[in-house]
Amino acid sequence: MKKYLISITFSFFITSLTLAAVTGCQEGNCDNGFGKWIYTDKTMYEGEWAGTKKHGQGTETWPNGYIYKGEFKKSLWSGEGVLIFPDGSTYKGEWANGFMNGKGTFTWADGKEKTGIWKNGELQE
Amino acid sequence: MLQDKHLNKLRELPEPVRQLAGLVIITIIVILSFAILNIFFGHDKDLVAKMKKEEEKNSEKRKLSEMMSNLPSGILVTYDGTDNYKLSEELYEKVCNATKLIPQRTLLGANLINLKAHQIYTNNGNQIQETFVKWDSENKKCVAGYVLKGTIDGKEETITVSGDALSFLSTGIDTRVYFIKNF
Repeated sequence: MKKYLISITFSFFITSLTLAAVTGCQEGNCDNGFGKWIYTDKTMYEGEWAGTKKHGQGTETWPNGYIYKGEFKKSLWSGEGVLIFPDGSTYKGEWANGFMNGKGTFTWADGKEKTGIWKNGELQE
Repeated sequence: MLQDKHLNKLRELPEPVRQLAGLVIITIIVILSFAILNIFFGHDKDLVAKMKKEEEKNSEKRKLSEMMSNLPSGILVTYDGTDNYKLSEELYEKVCNATKLIPQRTLLGANLINLKAHQIYTNNGNQIQETFVKWDSENKKCVAGYVLKGTIDGKEETITVSGDALSFLSTGIDTRVYFIKNF
């Protein structure tokens, strides 16, 4: 029984150490400057940081295929940016508070395109 | 008198013959016991149907588990233009039917173009009421979605977000919806 407990504790310790080694700030300065951060679900951000927040230009890559390249403000997608959806659809334009807000163009994977003013992710017809 | 005569005759029989006879008698008693029990309790058609259904389910599970182990680990997609493994139409349906899980990143992706869903999900502490993944046989596509319940500006709201499940993650043990196209 004691041996089992020791093995479980040891395995837990090793797993925690491994996870800690592959997540968090992997390169550069993730407080103020340019750095690469990897989250536990393998989401990756590489770009500028200010006050431990994603701030400035950067690229966020989600494990399921979403890629955002552009401007961040206080860790949110805000400013000019491009979002590539997993199927190849894209939105290029203005962002605010993590949503498509402002002028932008949505291009579907089949080439269909819509340009206009977007408000909180919806095109204002 | 007559009984004693018969018993003596039996006692005179060789030992192996007596043992064999005993064995035969015990076997007959066991069979008869089960036959009697079957008369009283063995005609439950529902039970037989249930057992058959259970067997079919188990067989289906075995087939699915075999299919899962044969799938490559990683992202499985239904569209062109990526390096990921592309599912055939037949596999797409099978994977869809076998998939139950929708990870958080998938929800966040679908919420990107649904402000209300994003607000409810954030306000309720990332709670999901219900998820569903089902095969739409009419349109031959996999539909996945989730139900969120929470408050927006103090008002209780419930919202269902759904779309086409176009990519999956195969972990080697199970499959998860990886991309819901809700636009």
